[in-house]
Parts: sequence; C-alpha cells; structure tokens
Amino acid sequence: MSIRIVLKYLGLVLAIVGALLSFPLFWSVAIARDGAHVSFIVPMVIALLGGLSLFRYIPQERRSLSRREGLALVTCTWVGCSLVGALPYVISGTLPGFVDAFFETMSGFTTTGATVMTSIGHQPPSILLWRNFSQWIGGMGIITFFVALFPMLGIGAARLFEAEMPGPQKERLRARIMDTARALWILYVALSLVEFGLLWVVGRIPFYDAMNITFGTMPTGGFLHLADSLAAYVDSPFVTTVVTFFMLAAGVNFALYFYALRRRRLGDLLGNPEFRLYIGIFVVCAGAVTLDLMGRSGMPIGQALQHATFQVASIQTTTGFATTDFDLWPSLSRGLLLALMIVGACAGSTGGGLKVVRLLVVVKYAFRQVVAAFSPRSVMPLKIGGETVAAATVAAITGMAILYVLALVGGFLFMSALGLDAVTAFSAVAATLGNVGPGLGAVGPVQHYAFIPASGKLVLSGLMLVGRLEFVTAMALVSPSFWHWR
Amino acid sequence: MYIVVVGAGAAGFYVASLLSKEKQEITVVEQDEEAAEQVRRALDVGVVIGNAAIPRVLWQAEVQRADLLVAVTGTDETNMITCFMAKELGAKKTIARVRNPEYSGYMLVGGKSPYATRKVVRPRSLGVDLFVNPEIEAAREIVSILSGLYVTPMEEFADGRVQLREFKAESAAVVGKRLLDIPFPRPCVVVMMEHGDELSVPSGDERVQKGDRLYLVATRKDMDELGAVFEVPRRSPRTVIVFGGGTIGFHVAESLEKRGIQVKLIEKSPSRAQEIGSKLKHTVVIQGGRPDRDLLVDEGLAHSDAFVAATGDESLNILAGLVAKGVGVSRNIVVVDEPEYIALAEAVGVDVAMSPLLVCGSRIAHYVLHGGAVSVALLGKEDAQVIEFLVGPNARISKCSVGELDWPKHAAIGAIVRGETVIAPTDATTLEPGDTVIVAALLDEIPNVERLFKAP
Repeated sequence: MSIRIVLKYLGLVLAIVGALLSFPLFWSVAIARDGAHVSFIVPMVIALLGGLSLFRYIPQERRSLSRREGLALVTCTWVGCSLVGALPYVISGTLPGFVDAFFETMSGFTTTGATVMTSIGHQPPSILLWRNFSQWIGGMGIITFFVALFPMLGIGAARLFEAEMPGPQKERLRARIMDTARALWILYVALSLVEFGLLWVVGRIPFYDAMNITFGTMPTGGFLHLADSLAAYVDSPFVTTVVTFFMLAAGVNFALYFYALRRRRLGDLLGNPEFRLYIGIFVVCAGAVTLDLMGRSGMPIGQALQHATFQVASIQTTTGFATTDFDLWPSLSRGLLLALMIVGACAGSTGGGLKVVRLLVVVKYAFRQVVAAFSPRSVMPLKIGGETVAAATVAAITGMAILYVLALVGGFLFMSALGLDAVTAFSAVAATLGNVGPGLGAVGPVQHYAFIPASGKLVLSGLMLVGRLEFVTAMALVSPSFWHWR
Repeated sequence: MYIVVVGAGAAGFYVASLLSKEKQEITVVEQDEEAAEQVRRALDVGVVIGNAAIPRVLWQAEVQRADLLVAVTGTDETNMITCFMAKELGAKKTIARVRNPEYSGYMLVGGKSPYATRKVVRPRSLGVDLFVNPEIEAAREIVSILSGLYVTPMEEFADGRVQLREFKAESAAVVGKRLLDIPFPRPCVVVMMEHGDELSVPSGDERVQKGDRLYLVATRKDMDELGAVFEVPRRSPRTVIVFGGGTIGFHVAESLEKRGIQVKLIEKSPSRAQEIGSKLKHTVVIQGGRPDRDLLVDEGLAHSDAFVAATGDESLNILAGLVAKGVGVSRNIVVVDEPEYIALAEAVGVDVAMSPLLVCGSRIAHYVLHGGAVSVALLGKEDAQVIEFLVGPNARISKCSVGELDWPKHAAIGAIVRGETVIAPTDATTLEPGDTVIVAALLDEIPNVERLFKAP
C-alpha cells in the first residue's frame, strides 16, 4: 500500500471541501453580514492550498487504487474532512474546544445530527448554515461526490464508491461507476430541490428556513438552525407533512427510484420487499405510538397522529427532527423509538442504522436455524422477493449485525463507565451509531451532548463514523493484518 | 460508446478490460455468478448475470442502446444466437467469437493466397457483423511469423504502403548506439522503444540497449533492407515441427505445407492423428503425447528450423518450447491462453509466445475503437497504439509544419502518406488536407492526439 497515493487523492477531496466552504462564506459576506467570514476563509485557504499542493506535488502513479488504498482513502477522507470542517466552529468561537467542534462536524458529515451546541439561537447564521450544509454534503457521500466529479480513478473509483455506499449489495446503476455516482447525486439534488420548492413556494416559509430544513431532511441529518428543532412549525400541518414525506423518501434505497424512473414502472419500487417492510414498520409503529399517546397521555387523535407519524418517520429514517419532546412520552412509545434507532432505514438510502434489509435477512436466517433443529435435512435457500440471497451475502450481513450489536454493547459499557445513566448511555450510543442524533434521557430531543466528557465525545464520534461507513471500511484500518501485509 | 460484452471467460475479461481502459461504457453479461463477481471486482463495468441468449437478459443489459455487442462465450452457437437476438433488439453492430470455421466461412483455401477466405454463409444474415476466430487468427499469425524474416509480425497501414515492425536490438550495429547514430540504410522513424516493460517515445539521443524492442515505421519496400541492420537474415524455414494437432496446429500445418515447407505434426489422440493424416497431403503425422525429448529428437527436432507448440495445454507448450530450445531449434513459437503468461514464457527462453485471446482482443479493439475506418495496432502489452489518421481540411493540424506543432510528448508521427508517396516526417514537413498520418501514442495520450485532428 502506498501512503503517498492515498495522500494525493485525499488532497483533492480536501480541496473540494475547501471549495464547498465558499457557500457559507458567501452567505456570511453577502447575505447575513454576521462577521463570521474569517472563520471560513482560514479553513478554505488551508484546505485549498494544502489539498491542491498534496495533489500537485505527489507524482501520479500509473495504476489504479488498490483495495487497501481505497479503504484507507475513504476513512481518511471522512476524518480529514471533519478536521477541516471543524475549524469554522473553533475560529468563530461558537464551540468551546476542538473536540466539541470535531464532534459537531463529524455529526454533520455522517448525518447524525447529535449536537453539542448549547445555544443554537445565538449563533451566526452562516455558521449554522455550514452546520446544516455539511450534513447535506455527507448525505449522499463525500467520496461519491468525488467519484462523480473526477473520472481518473478507473476501477479504483468503484472500490471507493463501494466502501462508502451503505447496504449489503452495492448496485451499479449504470455500467460505469462515475455515471452511477452522478445518477445518485442528480436524484439527490432533484429531490432536495422538490422539497425546498414545496416548502418555500407552496408552504411560504422563509427562504433560509426552507433551505435549512431541506439540508436537514434529505440527508436524514437532523441539524436545524432553530433552537428547538422543528417545534416552531408544529402548528403548520403542511410543513410537518412535507418533511415527514421527504424524510421517508430519503430513507428509501435510491436505486429503486433510479430503476422506477428509468423503466417508468412504479411497480419496481412498490414491489420491493425491503421497501414494503420499511413502510410496514412505519405504519405499525406510527399506529402503535398514536394509540399509546391517546391512551396513556390522553392526547386527542389528530394531534397524536401528527406527532406519532412525524416522530416515527424522523427516528426510523435516522433523521432526528423533533416536533415535541418525545422523551416525555409513555414508555412503549419511547421503547419503540429506541428500537427504531437500531433498525434504521433502507440500504442505499441516506439513512443510517442497521438497515431494514439486514434485519430481514438476519431474522429469516435465525428462523431457519429453528426449522433446522427439527428438520435438519431440509434445504432452505434464503429468499428475498423471490431471489435467493447468496450464502456469502448472508454471512456478511450476519457478521455486520453481530458487529453492530457488539458496538452497541461496548459503547454502552463505555458511556456507563463515564457515569451516564443506563437510558442515556444506551440511547446515546444507539443514536450516534445509527446516525440518528437525539436519544433519550439526558441526550433527549431538547437536550444536547455537551456535558459528556471529551473521551466520550471522541468515542461517540468514532461510532458515528463506523455507523456511516458500516464498520468494514472504517474497521479495516484498525485491523492488524491490514498493515501487516501491505 | 456503449458496449455489451457477453461471456466473462478469459477472452471476455480481456476484451472488457482493454476497452474499459479506453473509458468506454461497458456491460458484461455472464451466466456464472463467480466469474461475474470477479469482473465486478476487477473492472469498472456493469455486470448482468444470466444467459445472454435470452432476450430478457439482453434487455436487462440494455442491448437496445448498445453500439456494439461482443459475444465471446465458450459456445459458438450461443454467441451466434446472442448476436442474432441483439441485432433484433436493436444493437448496432455485433462481433461473435466462433471457433468452428465451418460456421463463419473462415476457411483457408488453396490458390495464390493462403489467407483468402471463402464465405460459407453471409454473416450478416445471422446478425453477426464480424466473426473472430481466435485459433485461426493465431494460426495466421504463426504462419506469418514463420514465413517472414522477423521474430514478430508486422502491421500494415495506408493500404499496405507503410509497415510497422518490431525489432529486437541484438546486433552490434545497433546496441550501445544513440538512435541518431544508427546507420539506417533507408528513411524510417523509430516511433516507440520498449525497454524492459516500459514503452516510450524515444528521442534521438537515447541509447539503445541490448534486448530493447524498437518499433519502426517505414515503407514496405524499405523494410527488408532496414531489417538487415538488426539481425542476420535467417533463411526461411524448410522443416517445421508442429506439436499439437488442434485447430491452430492443423491450420499452421496446412498453410505451411501449401508453401512447400516440410511439416511434421505430433498429435496425442490417435483418432485426431488419423483425421489430420487423411486431411493433409504432405504433412507427416506422428502420434505421441508428451514433449518427450527422445521422441522429439528421434523425429529430427534438432534439424528442423522451427518448432511450434500448440496443444491445448499452455504449460505443456512452454515446456515443449524449452525442450526445443535446448536441442538447438533456432525458432520456437508457443501458444498460451493467458495473456499474462506471454511475459513469463519469454522470460524463461521461449522466442515468441502468443495468446489467441490477445490476437482476438486486438482485432475486436481495432474494430471498436476506430470503427474499422482506420487501422490500429496495439503495441507492447497494449499500452500504446499505432493509429492511422486522415487530415481533414478543418483539422487543427492541417497546413502546419511538423516542427511548429504543439505535439503531445508521448506520441510520434511515423509516416505521412500523400497520394502514392510516403514521406518520412522531418520538422519542415507540412501537413496537407487529405494526408494520411500514421501516429504511435501511449494510451493516455491518444485523446490529445485525436484533438489535433479535429476542428478547433
């Protein structure tokens, strides 16, 4: 493995992030005039100069990226971008320390939405815009963006793309990976524009609000520029409905949209087993929470239905918006939400969590073991939607699920050791690993992560990264044999 | 350009990787999941799993918008049916690999030219635009190697007026000299030099080292004289031993005996030996399997001029080639399947190793990349190409002299053909519209060269 070639391309990715910082800079100088422009200019200069000189002065190698280099580049990209992206918070003094700023940026890029910002209302608008914009970039993936822009990587691009894309099956929508990455980004931008247009033009909410809500919804992020999440818009059923719809839409495998559009058949989307289970989970959980809220909290049916659908969609798609403090809800509702944090959205979506299709496979696999106990000779190929899942894929999914549970338990023990109570500790880990954002208890929707010690913040940042890159990519770098045989 | 490659065997994989280097959009259709996975891992191409002879699978591979379909599965019939289906569904062009010469009309017939082909069926009615038969192509190449003076074959451009040939620097007249100082008897251009594995466009100051390969462009009539600088001319082989009586071995023996060369063919299977014996008039057919030193020596290996190893087993071929080398046969040619083995075989002492797949691949690539309108040859390990360009009236390059052009670094003009005359380019040569220009370039540089020939 050549570190130089990884650094070369890392330079180019950092330069892209530097260029993207011009958006909040523009906002700061031209529109908000909040005086925060220095906090963007400095990291911009660092990223552009440093990145481009890395790219320029490391010689080109006449081969494509190896698998190891690809994995290293993806992980380094996410960490490197978070380090650069943290600078605006530090320079503007918005967040007290670098660890806090790093946590906040990682939370943005990984579309988690867990915040350490204690007074969101008093921050410069451009800083808040950067906070929201970073999650929109991270939603479809920095590497995917990079691959879509630069055609020079050959098969290396496919390795990068597959290391970043969530889900067990990495489908190539188009023959070339660059075209695939472009198609995904185009779909993503188009959906974002539709949501923005609906909110701004039809819903008549302010431009800045519409833009930031879109930046929080489409990547299933959860950051907002408003102090108490979406509670300000709780009285506008149009806004909450639009946001609920687009949260759910962002949690669907983008490949399904692509095929449905290309073949002009909605059946491809509606007939997909993962999509059906995803919608099924949403309907059942929203129904259960509605009944729970009506029965236990005595909420009227309309209000209960609105809160329940919004909150279930928000947590299931791992967005993490809140229209109300759901930590005050009855225990069944809270329990359901906590479970949904772990399940997450569909593979190939912008959402996080374990992913619905993995749950489907793991559950089917487990039940096959039960049948095998009394009928050991029966041949039971594991099928999803009439198609047999290859044994290797089943094994990979099972392994991933086990790692997920181990990370949950390990993180929970670590957070408990830091002195957090059980509910807070567990939900903090589930909410960061699943890229959700708000948890329960002391890290609930109206709370924040600021009180957690620095070591805890670093561990949670690591969990966000591992959750976003789905373990294998990020963990390869800490595996000894990765370095041994390079 | 969108290309569908059917079959991910060695040939399909090779063609797909060759074309994906050229940044074409490619989808590979393969029935075997493991082979498909291999392709997915190694190449930036789309992969569809299924039997390509089924319209549904072809549809999935979006064959209707394909500019080209290349069918290279293991079965002739599947390839032909696939091409037929693809044409029906809307593919613009099709290429099929068909091994059985009876299907494609690839028949070596007697008469003046041993290469003349007789069309048994008109391929277009089968939906196949181009039949490629790797074995026959390989056999033709072997025969051309044996009948010429040189170790490797040549490529022809501008209707055969210009030739490209590869020479190995071994003679004292060349080794250790700067290119400028080599006393070429005739005007020519060294367009590429291969040192070790590295292909480059040489400057005049570059020194030639022993074992380097030089690619020369010159007119056809000058080529023989130029060749004399590099090697002592070898007399054409009078006796050749062919080891292995498969398609390649059979066709090599057949064409050689028609040229009056005494051929001995060794074949393992008694029935196949019988069959060959009855088909060929003058060839001596010997039944025997192993590259047994005694058998080969007994059959007069030491006195033969060349040895061709063309059994179906590539390692056996390499070993047999080495045995021949050991007894002192001056020229041995072995056939290997894996293109990767060529370098290995030549490293251990085989004179020429060739892969039918490579021959097949370069033929398909030629067809694909340049629409058949201009000739293209691949050099070295397909890292460079020699392309024939026509200077259009609006081309950037038109009316410019070679010296004042902003010419790409890794490309070289080999020759300029104006009407009937061939001009070896100097800095003062001006390019006129209608000229044919033969250019050698590394793959990465080709777009830059192509840009020069387009309108600004």
